[in-house]
Amino acid sequence: MRGLLQLFAAYGNFLLFGFLELLALVLVVNFNQRQGAIWENSWGMATAGLDQSADWLGEQWALRDELIKLQGENIRLMEQLDNARYSNAVRQDTFLRDSSEQLFSYIGANVISNTTISTANSIRLNKGGEHGVRPNMGVISTDGIVGVVRAVTPHFSQVMSLLHRETRIKAAIARSGYFGTLTWDGKSSRFMQLEAIPKHAALEKGDTVITSGYSQLFPEGLPIGLIEGFNLDGGGNFYNIKIKLRNDLNKVRYVYVIENEMWKEHKELDKAANE
Amino acid sequence: MNNTVVRNIIRFFVLLAFQGLFLKRVSEGWVSNTLYINIFLYPLFIMLLPLQTPRTGVLLLSFLMGICVDMFYDSLGVHAAALTAMGYARALFLSLYEPREGYKLNALPTPADLGLNWFLKYSASMLGLHLLVYFSVDAFSPVYILGILTRTVFTFVATMIAILIFVFIFSPRR
Repeated sequence: MRGLLQLFAAYGNFLLFGFLELLALVLVVNFNQRQGAIWENSWGMATAGLDQSADWLGEQWALRDELIKLQGENIRLMEQLDNARYSNAVRQDTFLRDSSEQLFSYIGANVISNTTISTANSIRLNKGGEHGVRPNMGVISTDGIVGVVRAVTPHFSQVMSLLHRETRIKAAIARSGYFGTLTWDGKSSRFMQLEAIPKHAALEKGDTVITSGYSQLFPEGLPIGLIEGFNLDGGGNFYNIKIKLRNDLNKVRYVYVIENEMWKEHKELDKAANE
Repeated sequence: MNNTVVRNIIRFFVLLAFQGLFLKRVSEGWVSNTLYINIFLYPLFIMLLPLQTPRTGVLLLSFLMGICVDMFYDSLGVHAAALTAMGYARALFLSLYEPREGYKLNALPTPADLGLNWFLKYSASMLGLHLLVYFSVDAFSPVYILGILTRTVFTFVATMIAILIFVFIFSPRR
């Protein structure tokens, strides 16, 4: 109240001036035909624009809801794919029903920050430990693989992007099945390198490169990219292959974190093997 | 003091009646397609208010005078908007044109008290602002900017002459 009085003491005349001008203009548009018509017209145009913006905003909200629903739908479908399931079948038999268990399950997440310009890029997701994300889980988007979870807090997680100097991911050439290691030279965010493909492998420009399924991070057969070009170093035994990524990491927004349900068993096996 | 108040009240009604009953009819006859001449003498009431009139009072009187003129012109709000803007700017122009030694106590904003040169600057600035706002609100859209400017210029010249004649005939002392 006191502040209001002080405001009036300091700006009273200006406020009165504003009030009187407003009053006069209200009278102008209400009691004068010509000015009133101009006002109606301009106001109509302004509100029409505003209406459109409000509609657009509402649509965006509706789309967000739709998006989360679709993400859930996608997860349910992806989890039913063969490459997400562990098959118990030992031999194919007419009478044996193929029983399978869930091997990979997916957690939907949104990207909240992303870099592609350094040599050690990272992506931050809006899902964390509370939602089941743990370190060393693979991350994919609908277009291909994105990276590997490195650190997790209850609500967020940090993903080592594919575009990282230390990236080593097993990848295979879909047509021939030869597999190598996917690395990044730190130059273009659209291209990566495939190393350790032996020189007797038959390659062709445009061959598809997929995940090999030899790691516990990614299901088998996820698309990574296409072979853009390759050459043999003089006297070397392995190809230098340049791969154009299918997934544009500059604009990745919605991703899935991959949970390997049999992770624990792999760990136990590692331990048993080392003893 | 009392005398000043009475004089200003009389001036209010005289200028209002003169504007509404006489000048309105006179200048209506002059407005054709190419020539826009109006004479607006009523802002003189605000210009000639005593220097120590509180700003709040000036604002309220401006609005009142504007509304009363609007009644005659059947354009409710247009004159009021313009004259209120002028009333608010009065204090700014007064401090802008303040003589080096400051205003004398009880001085009136007239050529007799402050000199013709001062009065010309003062009344021209006030009138220019008033007419610009008046014709802008009257046209009510920036697309008529050319019309607004021509009307302002013609009316400004005609009104300045009328103001000077009025000030010299009646030579207001208080």
